[in-house]
Amino acid sequence: MRWIKNLSKKAEKRFEKGKPLHPFYALFDAVDTFLLTPKTITTRGSHIRDAVDMKRIMITVIVALMPPLLFGLWNLGYQHYLSIGIHAGFWQQFGYGFMKWLPMVIVTYASGLLIEIIFAQIRGHQVAEGFFVTGMLIPMIMPPDIPLWIVSVATMFAVLFGKEVFGGNGYNFLNPALLARGFVFFSYPAVISGDKVWIAEKADAFSGATPLAIASSAEYADQLLYLPSTFDMLAGIIPGSIGETSKIAILLGAFILIFTGVASLRIMISVVAGGYFTALLFNIFGTSVYASVPAYQQMLMGGLFFATVYMATDPVSSTHTRAGQVIYGLLIGGLTIAVRHLNKGYVEGLILGLFLMNVMAPLIDWCVIQLNIEKRKQRQVVRAKTAKCNEV
Amino acid sequence: MQQLINICKGLDVRLKGEAPLDMLSFSTMHYALVPDDFRWITPKLCVKEGDTVKVGTPVFYAKENEKIVFVSPVSGMVAAIVRGEKRKIEYIQFLSDGKFDSVPVEIPTAFNPNVIRETLQKYGLWNLLRERPFNRIAQTEATPKAIFISGFDTAPLAPDYAFLVDGRQAELQKGIDVVVQLTSGKCYFSLYKDRNNAIFEQLANVEFRYFAGKHPAGNIGTQIHKIAPVNKGEIVWHINPQALVMIGKLFLYRKLDFSKRVVLCGSGIKRAGYFDLVQGAAVETALQDSLMCEMPRIVSGNVLTGKKIDISGFTGWYDNQLTVIPEGGERKLFGWMAPGFRQWSFSHSYLSWFFPKKKYNFDTALHGGVRTLMLHTEYEKVFPFDILPAELLKACIVEDIDLMEALGIYEVTEEDFALCEVICPSKIEWQELIFKGLTLLYDSTR
Repeated sequence: MRWIKNLSKKAEKRFEKGKPLHPFYALFDAVDTFLLTPKTITTRGSHIRDAVDMKRIMITVIVALMPPLLFGLWNLGYQHYLSIGIHAGFWQQFGYGFMKWLPMVIVTYASGLLIEIIFAQIRGHQVAEGFFVTGMLIPMIMPPDIPLWIVSVATMFAVLFGKEVFGGNGYNFLNPALLARGFVFFSYPAVISGDKVWIAEKADAFSGATPLAIASSAEYADQLLYLPSTFDMLAGIIPGSIGETSKIAILLGAFILIFTGVASLRIMISVVAGGYFTALLFNIFGTSVYASVPAYQQMLMGGLFFATVYMATDPVSSTHTRAGQVIYGLLIGGLTIAVRHLNKGYVEGLILGLFLMNVMAPLIDWCVIQLNIEKRKQRQVVRAKTAKCNEV
Repeated sequence: MQQLINICKGLDVRLKGEAPLDMLSFSTMHYALVPDDFRWITPKLCVKEGDTVKVGTPVFYAKENEKIVFVSPVSGMVAAIVRGEKRKIEYIQFLSDGKFDSVPVEIPTAFNPNVIRETLQKYGLWNLLRERPFNRIAQTEATPKAIFISGFDTAPLAPDYAFLVDGRQAELQKGIDVVVQLTSGKCYFSLYKDRNNAIFEQLANVEFRYFAGKHPAGNIGTQIHKIAPVNKGEIVWHINPQALVMIGKLFLYRKLDFSKRVVLCGSGIKRAGYFDLVQGAAVETALQDSLMCEMPRIVSGNVLTGKKIDISGFTGWYDNQLTVIPEGGERKLFGWMAPGFRQWSFSHSYLSWFFPKKKYNFDTALHGGVRTLMLHTEYEKVFPFDILPAELLKACIVEDIDLMEALGIYEVTEEDFALCEVICPSKIEWQELIFKGLTLLYDSTR
């Protein structure tokens, strides 16, 4: 591998300050550190460092995204062929899904990285790795039939206004992937509304409604019979975005994230607990047909599992304190289910729930920090009083 | 048995190169006083090049407080006064005559706090006492609410404290008897459960506290926080057992003796072991035949908090350890994608996690690019204080003094954040930023 190192050395000289290629240094650096580990060493403070860096963290998240992605690609093909009534083999189904997904992911990465590299160059920073995950997430949460230009616009909007205008990776208060999804949800409702979009190139005669759509629009209890079985919802053999359908695959991804310590188990458990508890409340007090759907089934509908594992746990846009994470998670789960029940205009309350809690996260943190500060002040007061008593 | 304080939030970094309890021979003619070993001190010289000195001859004093005097640890002559940028004094080098003749020591017969203070200040031992908040040299007029002594160290490859003071129990006891007079409160002596504490447990005039668990259990900051945390307006002092031995010798034998025992360790040397040397000794003779790598990183102190020195450098005033590890910086193809059986990581994202007992050959590679702070709660796993480390760091970055105070900066110093820095995936220099915050706070209190 010596030739790569030599190539890197030679190329770096061309991108140095004062050389004609210097305006593209951020791009060079991104490629260079992608290929070879950096040569930087510690200078002061701790002389040794952990082998983990943000690249490793992000690649771990991408690995954890693989189970729902691979399943989702197959399911995309399966749902398509089911809707048009053609029997297809496994690889044909998977191949169809892959060919649907590939342009979307290429467009996402191209649009997002373009903005990232421009900003890294302007700021003189390195290109942050965060977008590798965002770019993988966006195609997984979009409706499969969405036009590519919308994906591109949404990605650019999310990276530009969700991240870069606030200072780049780590300074954003909204999850960029969520923002892209929200942008599509609010800006192009006509394009993505209805049941059509959740199966790629669906035959018109085929219903193809998602379980969430069936449940929330049901006016009579009989209509709930059209809901897929619990097993289908768990396994993910239902229409929906690529990533969200298979809860088993998502749990596999969650296991990777928890085992490697990359994502917060505290947030995941809190979201599920918050959602389940709220669903139970609606089971008990709700009057609509939807409220009669068992709480556990409500949890399996829509993107709640996917968002719990991959989006609510985003370390930047979630709360930055441990106690805050519990409150944050509980409220995401609770709000999601509540919006689903109370506002039929927004069937997937998750987007609203996550948005709201992303925005509220700093407030929750502020409260937790104040508690820590107060505790310290109290200690001082107690000590002062004890000292006075001792003097007396 | 005293109540046990167990440090669960922490991390034992397993390095290769531990030193056996063997004594190695050591001799050098070169010694130095390095003003940078003492924070926020502006040195005012009392000697010039070529002057003859004895052990205890004042070399410089602190411009901020003339009572804080720094004396020569050896007898001989001032070989050089090396200056850096803006004529800053880098170090004052001595050429030893090998005799270690002490200046005449006179101690008044009255044994009271004022006499002790004056004696320690006059003979240059005051700087061995350090103060929290700020971890600076103790203020000459202050009375601390308690004095803390740690009888163990949990840092990577740290020396065995019982071995460091072995055979010098009488001097240690005298040192304790002396410094305990300076506080209105108690003198706490921390010990690690299940270690060889027999030497220390015979000591009188101290309250023992037992610790267990992971590093930073041995950091004095952790011990202070767990035993009697520092609030705003309060002062505590801390001192190392070897420094107490120096003080004990002064009062017992009327003699100045700056000798101490230092451990040489790390994967970058052929033979690890212990040396008896005098404060400020040049390390070159100890290392020149022992280095295993072409590019060594020589650290006075441990690898988490120590100071980088050259082969021609000198042992740090407060350090009991000399660590040598290889420099890093070798570029590896797709290193971030490798399974990582040989890569140590606190996170479980490398497969080395399956071998928790394995020891590693660390080098000084940063292992990544600098990013913004992202995994905010991760650091709390290695930070045993009731303080939010990431929030305090952010307060230091934005230089918000009120917030820094509220978040508990008085209780900490940069070494308490060493583990946060080690595990940081964003590769942030925590210790440097916390030190800047402390400096800002210190400047605002002056």
